Amino acid sequence: MIRFTFKRLMLMVLMLLGLLAITFTISHIVPADPAALAAGPDANVEMIERYRVEYGLDRPLAEQFLVYLGKLLSGDWGKSIHTTRPVWDDLVTYFPNTVELVVFSIAIAVLFGIPLGIVAAVNQNRPIDHVIRVLTVTGVAMPMFWLGLMAQLFFALKLGWFPLGGRIEMMTDPPQAITHLLLVDALLNGHFGTFVDALHHMVLPAVALCFPALASIIRVNRAEMLETLKQDYIVNARAQGLSTFRIVAVYALRNAMLPTMAMIGLRFGWMLGGTVLIETVFDWPGIGLYAVQAAISSDFEPIMGATIVLGFFFMLTNLLIDMIYGTLDPRVREQV
Amino acid sequence: MRTEYDGKQGVLMRKLFKLTLVAGVAAAVLATVSPAVDAFERRNGQKIMVMAQRQAVPIMDPSIKYDASIRTMQQAMYDGLMKYTGTPPTVTPWLAERFEASDDGLTYTFYLVKNAKFHNGDPVTAEAVRWSFARTLKLGKGPAWMLNAFLKAENIKAVDDHTVSFTLDRSFAPFTSFLPWWYIMNPAQVMANEVDGDMGQKWLIDHEAGSGPYKLRRVEQGTLYELERVQDYWKGHKGPLGGIIYKLIRESSAQRAALMKGEADISTGLSPDEFDQLAKIKGMVTSTEPALTAFGIKFNTQGKYTSDKNLRKAVAYAFDYDALVKIYNGRAVLQTSPFTDSIKGKVNVPNMPRQDLAKAKEYLAKSQWPTGGIELEYVYVQGLEEERLMGLVLIDNLKDLNITVKMVPLTWANMVARGSKKETSPDMIAIFATPVSTDPDAVAIQYHPSSHGAYYGVHFYDNPEVTKLIEEARFTGEWEKRAPLYAKIQQMITDDQPEIFGMMRERRIVYRDWVKGFEYSPVRMTEEVDLYPMYIE
Amino acid sequence: MAELTKEAHELTVSLDWRERHVSTIRMLRLYARTFARNGSAMLGLGLVLLFLTTAAIGPYFVPFPDDATGSVHIERKLQPPDAVHWFGTDEVGNDVFTRVIVGARVTLQIACIITGVAMLIGIPLGMIAGYMGGWVQEVIMRITDVFLSVPGLMLAIAIVGALGPGIVNAMVALSLVWWPGYVRLVQAKTLSLKNEIYVDAARSMGAGSLRIVFVHLLPNCTSPIIVKASMDMGMAILGAASLGFLGLGAQPPFPEWGAMISVARTYLPDWWWYSFFPGTAIVITVLGFNLLGDGLRDILDPKHRE
Repeated sequence: MIRFTFKRLMLMVLMLLGLLAITFTISHIVPADPAALAAGPDANVEMIERYRVEYGLDRPLAEQFLVYLGKLLSGDWGKSIHTTRPVWDDLVTYFPNTVELVVFSIAIAVLFGIPLGIVAAVNQNRPIDHVIRVLTVTGVAMPMFWLGLMAQLFFALKLGWFPLGGRIEMMTDPPQAITHLLLVDALLNGHFGTFVDALHHMVLPAVALCFPALASIIRVNRAEMLETLKQDYIVNARAQGLSTFRIVAVYALRNAMLPTMAMIGLRFGWMLGGTVLIETVFDWPGIGLYAVQAAISSDFEPIMGATIVLGFFFMLTNLLIDMIYGTLDPRVREQV
Repeated sequence: MRTEYDGKQGVLMRKLFKLTLVAGVAAAVLATVSPAVDAFERRNGQKIMVMAQRQAVPIMDPSIKYDASIRTMQQAMYDGLMKYTGTPPTVTPWLAERFEASDDGLTYTFYLVKNAKFHNGDPVTAEAVRWSFARTLKLGKGPAWMLNAFLKAENIKAVDDHTVSFTLDRSFAPFTSFLPWWYIMNPAQVMANEVDGDMGQKWLIDHEAGSGPYKLRRVEQGTLYELERVQDYWKGHKGPLGGIIYKLIRESSAQRAALMKGEADISTGLSPDEFDQLAKIKGMVTSTEPALTAFGIKFNTQGKYTSDKNLRKAVAYAFDYDALVKIYNGRAVLQTSPFTDSIKGKVNVPNMPRQDLAKAKEYLAKSQWPTGGIELEYVYVQGLEEERLMGLVLIDNLKDLNITVKMVPLTWANMVARGSKKETSPDMIAIFATPVSTDPDAVAIQYHPSSHGAYYGVHFYDNPEVTKLIEEARFTGEWEKRAPLYAKIQQMITDDQPEIFGMMRERRIVYRDWVKGFEYSPVRMTEEVDLYPMYIE
Repeated sequence: MAELTKEAHELTVSLDWRERHVSTIRMLRLYARTFARNGSAMLGLGLVLLFLTTAAIGPYFVPFPDDATGSVHIERKLQPPDAVHWFGTDEVGNDVFTRVIVGARVTLQIACIITGVAMLIGIPLGMIAGYMGGWVQEVIMRITDVFLSVPGLMLAIAIVGALGPGIVNAMVALSLVWWPGYVRLVQAKTLSLKNEIYVDAARSMGAGSLRIVFVHLLPNCTSPIIVKASMDMGMAILGAASLGFLGLGAQPPFPEWGAMISVARTYLPDWWWYSFFPGTAIVITVLGFNLLGDGLRDILDPKHRE
């Protein structure tokens, strides 16, 4: 197990390097001049040159890449040429917001997905199965931003149940940052009002975001449940007069846990990057908005920083899933 | 196979639905705890004005950067020696109560007010002024370009506590017109927060050390910025207010919703149609004065097709100028000169091109492509709705000349990069250009070869005669002699048609009627607001 | 199984077509019956057919053909739906109905190109990796992993951000982030098939690598590929629309639905029709492809779970 984990970690470092190289190449394809951009529209040549030298943009591309890697190893994530803010500070500000949104959204998906999946399986090919299927597939088929906009217009603007957007009520001073996760910090500081307020702000974006994950979880649970219900021991259990609910709760649900976890892991990584659409609609100060802004303004170091963080967490969740599987199923270990 | 479940299925279903129901109820409970909406946000019993804005203020350091949103905040937290006020904009004394210029136009002496204080209580001294200018010049960013060609840091002297003198390398008529954009920082506070000899750059990103009417209360990067009013501001206040929250709302429709719900008190940058909708609602006040900003479609005068002046004229005469105004629902004024209306010395140039298809065809016939059959590129900033619409209008208009238009949206970064060389600069580029001052030189210089490659110089216009006139006018001291030079410059540029001279849009600022004191000055950028005079009744 | 029939047919040339393919025909009949019994799959098929019909003949019947490519009639801008303009008009007075109908063809092209390019890159790579094994597989799969290790939309945004917005660049970007899924799928399938008895048999009979790959392995991968492609058509449409929403995809006046919404969203809620109809068109189309894919999966790939 230790060897397996070690090998995977080494692989992860290599893959991160590969990812960085790809991102670096992509962001340098076009001749956009970040120095000119940062210096501002009125700047003269001399000022632009100053930016170019300060940010090392005057050096050959390969050298820039190596310099960046060197800095990274010494813990320096660089700074935005556009805002001059250190990339690390920005990541600490924005990334936890995205994590919270995604975790909450997945929680919703699990909360609704597992029961709906079971209901669909138990009623295989009956109307309710089809209704659940069509509903979830419709949820996935809706462009996420569109769903967000509509939810915003209806629940926030028309009914006034939820705020239009943002993270917490604007007059509230955020709790002292301990973990940088707002909900956790609010609890640690004992600001329960802030906690509820933050949760309240999170409902609409999280719901708009949860549909792809919800559909996957329903699908996995339905399939797993169908499989389980056919097993001999279930048929036996049933023959012994165990109620369907017991069977589902005790055996089937347990079997469905692993694939559900795997699905959550997969979706978690995917949603970290997919939130950008929802972040745009709900003014959620997350890493997606940050990365898009950086990509549009050719701000290299923030682009790289965001890539590392997203890639790292994506790979990490995959590793965790594999480790869980590996613990349970030695064959998986052998494959690596 | 199904039937064997049937008996127990009902129980299971009910239990599962119960689970689902609980989750649903939890969500509904959360929904109802929505806080009661007070008409005003308050802090310590004083009203807070909320601005709903689309553009972030990622950095506040006055030496490093400025744009409409950044300057809105800088102007609230810092004071300059002078300040732009009123219409037409005048440079009024601010931290400097008066100044003298030597006869040779080289030395300027400023006498500071005695009661101005930084937010930490330190007095604003001549040394602070000298240090602030020196810092900006040394760092060489942001507004440095305005003065660094003829002002050296060592030629700024603090004569005594309240007198500071600047000696320029050569006479420069528009000198004082730039001073409002140079803000004064407290050297003691900044240097106390210096890291690795950065002159406080890291600290000033989201802190301030100014003497302005507001101080920074908190920064929630990417979400909001809160200002707290300095109640004993040395120049006093016009009406009551506790502070200002600059809240980021990135969608125009959400901005409007916030205004309507009363969650926001003032907003800029709404789309023309949304603006019109809001203007109809009772309790909304709109400000629609024309901005100093000019919109034009610049030709690359050294490009493959558009180096042909007759072709440029043909396009200019085919263009539907009225559509420009219509795109803004009538909230725009057509340019009658290369200079916009608020620029000093602007004249109405006779026979500015207006849509005239016969004339357009006449010019086309004289060009190298008498029957059209070419494709011109129209580059605009991706996401800028109005520029996109103008492209549609161009496509429509140029059909009649048998010229097709290819619309190419680019990010600002890539657009600037393409426009920086005459080889890559596109046939037509949509450009909004805001001169930094109302001095005619600020516009004229855009048609000088030294501007080539800058975003306003993507036309690569080079008429030696015009160049000579611009240089002559720039270093001429007396206005009576400068004015005719500029009149001539305007006429000559118009004749050469380096661009389709477009329009000045009106700025679209909406605020609730309880917001008072809004003051407009054309020199401010389209979405820039001077927060100092504003209050809530 | 199809292979066995094919092998058999080389030996029994004398039989007529129907007889030769009797088992294939029986299988297809079974598929068709299973599919027809699946209500949601039939709904999906219906929606996809509606979409394909619209894409094929719709553009010839639209009331304002000029509006499709963008013209300007400011005088009739933002009019609500009525008898003339069934879906209302947009901000420059174009007929929304016309643009939505013509948009079907554009959307079909986009979806086909993205999915097609992704398949063209992904399937051969997956085959090579799975069949060759060894370091070739290692290299291909690690590169694939790198691409899969960052959320697809994010990567697409980075690519379009660099190349500049526009429909062509958006398609390039989406194709580039789409192929790794096919590599994984095909590689896994090839890996499991290459040691099957019939492949061994073919190899021992002297069949070359190319023949084995194309004649024996590829046809057996078709089921999962068809299922994935059907789902991907819908996802590609959503992907293009998402880029459009962020202002990075197709640019108006190009009648792409996502791009229409990206403009129309600023006209919500008062001019709802402008974004409502293209939005509905997207939902219906994507829903169609997803339901169809779902149904196909049930038939072709009953064991497959995500």
